[in-house]
Amino acid sequence: MSEETKVKYDKPIPLKTIDNTPYWDAADRHELALQKCETCNSYNHPPGPSCSNCGSVDVIWKNHGSDIQGTVYSYVVSYRPFLPGFQNDIPLVIAVVELTDLPEVKIMGNILNGNAENVTIGKAVKMVWEDVTEDRAVPQWKLA
Amino acid sequence: MNNIRNKYAIVGVGESKRSKNSGVTPLHLALDAARAAIADAGLEAKDIDGFMSYSENDSCTPHQVATYLGVRPGVVKEILGGGSSTELLIADAIGLIETGQAKTVLIYRAMNGRSGMRMGGGGWSTDLLQNAFDGGSFLIPYGAGSPGQWFGLFATRHMHLNGLTQEHLGHVCTSFYEHAQRNPNAFFYGKPLTLEDYMQTAHLSSPFTKHDFCLESDEANAIIVTSTERAKDCKSTPVKIMGMAARQTVSHAHYWKNLDEVASDYVAPELYKAAGISPEDIDVASIYDCFSWVVLRQLEAYGLAPKGEVGDFVAAGNLRLNGKLPTNTAGGMLSEGYTHGMNNVLEIVRQVRHEYAGTNRQVENCEIGICTGWAGPDIAGAMILSK
Ligand SMILES: [Zn+2]
Repeated sequence: MSEETKVKYDKPIPLKTIDNTPYWDAADRHELALQKCETCNSYNHPPGPSCSNCGSVDVIWKNHGSDIQGTVYSYVVSYRPFLPGFQNDIPLVIAVVELTDLPEVKIMGNILNGNAENVTIGKAVKMVWEDVTEDRAVPQWKLA
Repeated sequence: MNNIRNKYAIVGVGESKRSKNSGVTPLHLALDAARAAIADAGLEAKDIDGFMSYSENDSCTPHQVATYLGVRPGVVKEILGGGSSTELLIADAIGLIETGQAKTVLIYRAMNGRSGMRMGGGGWSTDLLQNAFDGGSFLIPYGAGSPGQWFGLFATRHMHLNGLTQEHLGHVCTSFYEHAQRNPNAFFYGKPLTLEDYMQTAHLSSPFTKHDFCLESDEANAIIVTSTERAKDCKSTPVKIMGMAARQTVSHAHYWKNLDEVASDYVAPELYKAAGISPEDIDVASIYDCFSWVVLRQLEAYGLAPKGEVGDFVAAGNLRLNGKLPTNTAGGMLSEGYTHGMNNVLEIVRQVRHEYAGTNRQVENCEIGICTGWAGPDIAGAMILSK
């Protein structure tokens, strides 16, 4: 990644926390990792200190690789930046995507090649990763 | 809470001046609203022994307000929170009075919501925001920093599944703006909105235009709660609390996981059970309206319009003064003012009291009103009031 590209990225970079680090570490490797509960078998996204479905502390991380498909569960198109850093991304498509293999998991992201005309509920998308710094990458969506 | 049905009442309501730039602190606004509510009830400051408030760290403390009214309070309480906090604090006040720890409680919301800290955002640190709420790192990096966007995700899906259109959102806005034209204190008094104008307004964030967003104002509102027994000593017409559901949540703190569920769905059955009435008994409504769609979703949740027919219900003019359910009759937060819901509480009290009798603002023969609060899709509360 060139110096120029690095400087250009002025959007917020996901903060790694005690609860979500494995998710973002996997994203940096262009992979999806999800927290799973060994007690009730549910997937927890966003991840937390224990299972957000049953409260069990017996939670593990599962790697789902880099081929992640989903469909648009809902979306909005924003025509003004509601946060600093997004002034060059308008209109911005923000979508909640339901994973094809794990419909209980919904992951938010921008649809990078989406707009008010080509995005609808149910539309197929795939996960892509945007390299935003030398060592950080952010999962995003593209129309499949 | 059937055992406290009609045992408690709202006996005073008051507000400060409403403006874009008050030029004073929230404490000054709170004192103006408190004095107005005390005068409305025909009480003296020393009759108030409980003071409560909610804020987003943008206000003054109940202890300060009591102090500058010249009172040493028996109980003070302040909570962080926005929509549905009024209902929660009324329930808390009832609990304190019921257990003999207070007699008469004043609840206020005071804010320079336009000239001071604006809910619409601006100037926030994005790192701070990522840590400000659970799961924030999964929203903020994607530019989702405004309730307009979070609630918009619910709206897009709900509208898609239920045949709701932009026109239906427009009918909510134009109905409330029409009410505001009869209210000289409304922000958008003298600024009517036609459906044609609405439909030509661009999205700020779909499906919402600027008209679908609530306004921002500098103001304070206050209400006084006491027992129906003690209300007899007040000069105002008491408005009895038939029942309430203080605050319910959805099943999950990461509420965008399930866009088909809102907290109001859980509030409604508890509310009607407590009040002992059905939706069809309700004559007038204050529905929390931080966004136009939030009104549609609550009409459905509270059974005020049949699911799947909410759009037809508003398009038929039922939220207007002569409709089946006159709603937000002072203009609501879309066109009157914004105090995280309390201005809508003041209005429903005035309607149920028939305070506007003889003017063009009174909902004729209204006896029972519903007032709903919405902190978000995840947290809500409501109450039912009667004359
Ligand atoms: Zn579990």
